[in-house]
Amino acid sequence: MACPITATATANSNSKQTLISQSEIQSEFSHHDPTIARVNNGSFGCCPASIIAAQHRHQLLFLRQPDHFYYNTLKPSILQTRLLIQNLINADHVDEVSIVDNATTAAAIVLQHTARAFTSSAFQPGDAVILLHYAYGAVKKSVHAYISRTGGHVIEVHLPFPVKSSSEIVSEFEKALRLGKANGRKIRLAIIDHITSMPCVIIPIIELVKMCRDEGVDRIFVDGAHAIGNVEIDVKSIGADFYTSNMHKWLFCPPSAAFLYCKMSDELSDLHHPVVSHEYGNGLAMESSWTGTRDNSAQLVLPEVMEFLNRFEGGLQGIMTRNHENVVEMAKMLVEAWGTELGAPPELCSSMAMVGMPACLGIKSGADGLRLRKHLRECFKVEVPIYYREPLEGEVDPVTGYARISHQVYNVAGDYYRLRDAVNTLVKEGLTCALLLK
Amino acid sequence: MAALEDPRPAVNGAAPHVSKKPKLSFITESELRDEFAHHQPGIARLNNGSFGSCPSSIIAAQRRWQFRFLRQPDDFFFNQLQPQIIQSRAVIKDLINADHVDEVAIVDNATTAAAIVLQHVGWAFAEGRFQKGDAVVMLHCAFQAVKKSIEAYVTRAGGSVIVVNLPFPVNSNEEIIAEFRKGLARGKANGKKVRLAIIDHITSMPCVVIPARELVRICREEGVERVFVDAAHAIGNIHVDVKDIGADFYVSNLHKWFFCPPSVAFLYCRKSPVSPDLHHPVVSHEYGNGLAIESAWIGTRDYSSQLVIPEVLEFTRRFEGGLEGIRNRNHDKAVEMAQMLAKAWGTNLGSPPEMCPSMAMIGLPSKLGVLTDDDALKLRSHLRDHFLVEVPIHCEVPRDGETRAMDADGCITGYVRISHQVYNTLDEYIRLRDAIIQLTQNGVTWKTIQS
Repeated sequence: MACPITATATANSNSKQTLISQSEIQSEFSHHDPTIARVNNGSFGCCPASIIAAQHRHQLLFLRQPDHFYYNTLKPSILQTRLLIQNLINADHVDEVSIVDNATTAAAIVLQHTARAFTSSAFQPGDAVILLHYAYGAVKKSVHAYISRTGGHVIEVHLPFPVKSSSEIVSEFEKALRLGKANGRKIRLAIIDHITSMPCVIIPIIELVKMCRDEGVDRIFVDGAHAIGNVEIDVKSIGADFYTSNMHKWLFCPPSAAFLYCKMSDELSDLHHPVVSHEYGNGLAMESSWTGTRDNSAQLVLPEVMEFLNRFEGGLQGIMTRNHENVVEMAKMLVEAWGTELGAPPELCSSMAMVGMPACLGIKSGADGLRLRKHLRECFKVEVPIYYREPLEGEVDPVTGYARISHQVYNVAGDYYRLRDAVNTLVKEGLTCALLLK
Repeated sequence: MAALEDPRPAVNGAAPHVSKKPKLSFITESELRDEFAHHQPGIARLNNGSFGSCPSSIIAAQRRWQFRFLRQPDDFFFNQLQPQIIQSRAVIKDLINADHVDEVAIVDNATTAAAIVLQHVGWAFAEGRFQKGDAVVMLHCAFQAVKKSIEAYVTRAGGSVIVVNLPFPVNSNEEIIAEFRKGLARGKANGKKVRLAIIDHITSMPCVVIPARELVRICREEGVERVFVDAAHAIGNIHVDVKDIGADFYVSNLHKWFFCPPSVAFLYCRKSPVSPDLHHPVVSHEYGNGLAIESAWIGTRDYSSQLVIPEVLEFTRRFEGGLEGIRNRNHDKAVEMAQMLAKAWGTNLGSPPEMCPSMAMIGLPSKLGVLTDDDALKLRSHLRDHFLVEVPIHCEVPRDGETRAMDADGCITGYVRISHQVYNTLDEYIRLRDAIIQLTQNGVTWKTIQS
């Protein structure tokens, strides 16, 4: 039947503690729809049953006696979460770590701050914000809402995809940066993904941040929405001013919780949460810890998550390594079966990989990709997001569709065989996206 | 406790003629206890106003929604979430008598709604539609978080703030209306343009029902451009009819008095030319599609508290008279308990019964010497820790030496705010009564307790 791709080993460094068994893992995720081949951890993440139970306990603590919770429990609990994150990401001070709902909120915080600089004339109309063309859609909208609106000029850096190496990314970025600075334009903010969402590629973030510093970019915001629990994060060696990541994607937190790291600076006191409450002016971390009555429980379970991670061999590092190896193995299996190619080499894949889909499926637009995704969900019970790549002029039989497969601890090889077989069936039946439209 | 009879009518002891659905039985006393069995026992929980309450059947409903998302989040996101939020919005629209469901956005809480309205004002200053010095009006007792939001979005952008003082204790709506008129006129004295007035429907501390409809009318007469009614406490507490009130923006929390889990609120925005320019500050994919649609997706979140609104409406129907019945009984009880306490302490009510919602302000004996906000907070902690009584305390120091309320020993400056919700019982108010009496015995004041 379904088997794990790499079994959890018996000999290990956590010798005093028994490692989680395969059946315990299945049990932790038994609330997942068992009929679905769930290869899209990237979009919405996952949460083990023991963490959901922990969250419910925190919820009930509030409901039991909310005043006591508010006055005595909430702040120390959030501080604990912030300390754990500080440690995980190698931040200098816990003051640099705020807990917010999600990366979308973090982006609003940074961009609203930048907008204020434009409206107060600290920045001039035409000063630029630079971001990747592959930046997440919501972030682009936020840039439009806060930067374009206040007179900022927006530069989008086109990166190659498929991509062969990180040096391709570095040189494209360098070109765009130079061009952006032409005519003495000042670049006030760079927004760089640590792992782009669609298409999914690890960006050489350390090099790009250094390049931005060398080229006099005022501030750098790294959108690491996918990063924590997926790749290693060391905010000091990355060197950005702002760094955000979602904890509910790859760090097993319930929806939703994220952190926003803001390197200590004079500006730090002028960062504000847009939902202003009693703590206004007491620092972003304090402001974020109270934005009116809320259910904060998703932000409070990190201690339990740490325990959960330690049940795996090698802890979080072990999980990340195995996820990466497994997803690459499955990606290679798929491209071989379909006669296509990976969108990026293994070293640029995290726990996700972009797998070229057979050209005969005729994916000709983003809408086609969505339709095909829906068809796979409804008719084959396979959940996988599909990226549409616009072909270059003159390309013959271009691969225009890529499936972004994820691997998380609950996945088994069978999930990917089902995807493989579903697509093969579609190819055999001669299905095209144009036919789906009818 | 046996000597004191519980004067409340039995919850399901309705006379036969009241029931329109003879087959359906109302919630029983023991079912009611079960619904709130997760509340900490042994606490006199007299503060429904601050954080509200949620019955266990609604918590269970919320968990079912949570699990639907966790089970298959993509399917939930693409196929279930939006239709379900629209259903919740439709329920609200009917409850509050709004014209269009487009006018109803669901947000986390009133604090978020304030940020939406005030950021909109902030943009108007930044983009030159409002001039530096144009004013925003607020009540002096506006909720602290709203005051901070005004500072962040209005003052910072160059706007000025007109603060209208309302009397407390208060004796009638007319007092409030007269003070508001005076305060507004004074504030406008140097020809300031008033762009927005923020008026509480029920002030938080001290807690009084404000004649919002009349104040909105006065605002219109005085040329105030837009009116935002902060009704954080209102829904499930008093009757809400947004058309009748006539404000441009109206917000109420649903987790305070409408049995929703934390947290959820609605923001009503009357259709107007500025509607497209109202935005949720957390910008996501739906930016530009209208506030209600923007608010329905602000990134991956747990939206489950927003989805149980239809189930909550069903819950209220398990009570005689539904939501209105609950409100009326809560009000009657709060007033009855308030009068009991005022009599026992020799003090006063902060407002007449008709200006109390499901909450009431009762003067604390002057002997306790609650003279500052800090005193009030410390007394509250003491009551929580030593008497297991949870009740918020307000400090009202008379302005300009005017003496507003006195008891036999001096000036009344401290007030408790009691709430009554369906789970409350008589003995909780008795506990509060006796705790305060004990603290005032033998000339003990708050300062003595502290040392």
